[in-house]
Amino acid sequence: MTGHDFDDETLMAFADGELEEARSLALEEALAHNEALAQRLAVFLDSRRLVGDTLKPLIDEPVPEALRASVHRMAEEAKRPTPSQDSIVPFRPKRQPATWRWLMPIAASLVAVVAGVVGFSLGRMAPSTPGVGAEIATALDREASGRDVTLAASNLVLRVVASFRDERGELCREYELKQPESSTLTIACRQNGAWATRLALTTPRADGYVPASSQETIDAYLSSIEAGAPLSPEEERAILAP
Amino acid sequence: MQTVPERLVAFLPNLRRFAISICHSRELADDLVQTACERAILAADSFVPGSRFDAWMFRILRNLWIDQLRRQKTAGPHDELEEARDVSVPSGEAASLARMDLLEVTAALQKLPDEQREVLVLVCVEELSYRDAAEVLSIPIGTVMSRLARARKNLAEMTGISFGEKRSSDTKRGVA
Repeated sequence: MTGHDFDDETLMAFADGELEEARSLALEEALAHNEALAQRLAVFLDSRRLVGDTLKPLIDEPVPEALRASVHRMAEEAKRPTPSQDSIVPFRPKRQPATWRWLMPIAASLVAVVAGVVGFSLGRMAPSTPGVGAEIATALDREASGRDVTLAASNLVLRVVASFRDERGELCREYELKQPESSTLTIACRQNGAWATRLALTTPRADGYVPASSQETIDAYLSSIEAGAPLSPEEERAILAP
Repeated sequence: MQTVPERLVAFLPNLRRFAISICHSRELADDLVQTACERAILAADSFVPGSRFDAWMFRILRNLWIDQLRRQKTAGPHDELEEARDVSVPSGEAASLARMDLLEVTAALQKLPDEQREVLVLVCVEELSYRDAAEVLSIPIGTVMSRLARARKNLAEMTGISFGEKRSSDTKRGVA
């Protein structure tokens, strides 16, 4: 018995108490007379203890008073059945799915227009300017995040904010299109070799910045599609067309 | 059965520890905790009674953090987030490690890729099972295990403390 039958993940699962019984017994037996195996196991036992010892005591830190008070207040308010100005309307059970309910207050506060969430194709985005859709698609295929690119056909400025993968693993890109009077934040994902727009928010342009409220809507949407973490510049480079 | 808002207040120290552990800044962590609590209250109906409240909250907070990282990209090269990161050594003396070791582990943790650190924190600090960690991160269990194993081996390489002691044949680090 050389211990080669036990890979790192098996040793780790044993250290974490997640290995099934039969396998655990076999491992214990092998450990008894295999020093090298015991040392490999020690990496996983020690790392768990070390990380725990380092970070667990953070729980003893007093929560800042302002934070505690604020959450306490929120919790208290949530417990009351929110009496409106004239509380004549009897309490009605809410039927919307949870995701939509928490999106609503954000959406309501928006000046923005939410353009067709699904199936809004790039070609239709700026119907007055032919060729823009194709140009945007090319930019999405090639441009790294964080750079301003001027589109020749329309003089619009496009900037890819980030790349990430959606719940199905498709490549998605969030980009901003700056027009003279407004700015559009869009999430497009690659589908069957083409870019499909998933969400587009147009807001009047203020100082060149996207209002925080649209960012929140974007974030809420990204959470709802379980978007992964943004790709690193290296990961992005590996995927984009040369 | 306590409601979500009731549970939140009691869960604050735990949630804050998780936030500090993944974002390495108390300031950012407190903002994240605050926003996560708001979201949790608004989405309280989506919490399934009887399921793990901690995992549910961690998932909300962690998604918010990912959104922030994404936004951070927009901010360009001089991002505040990176500058705001401070060393998250616990201020209490409860830690059983020598202070030097503690600093070293903290530094190593910060160098780990985000995806490795978060799974490490969920399993080794918050003591979630692989299955629960997979839920929080929306990834398969197999991915949890491979990331976690990589994180721990990286950590061992970077710190060399308490791992090397028993190993005489550790040539990789060569601290001659």
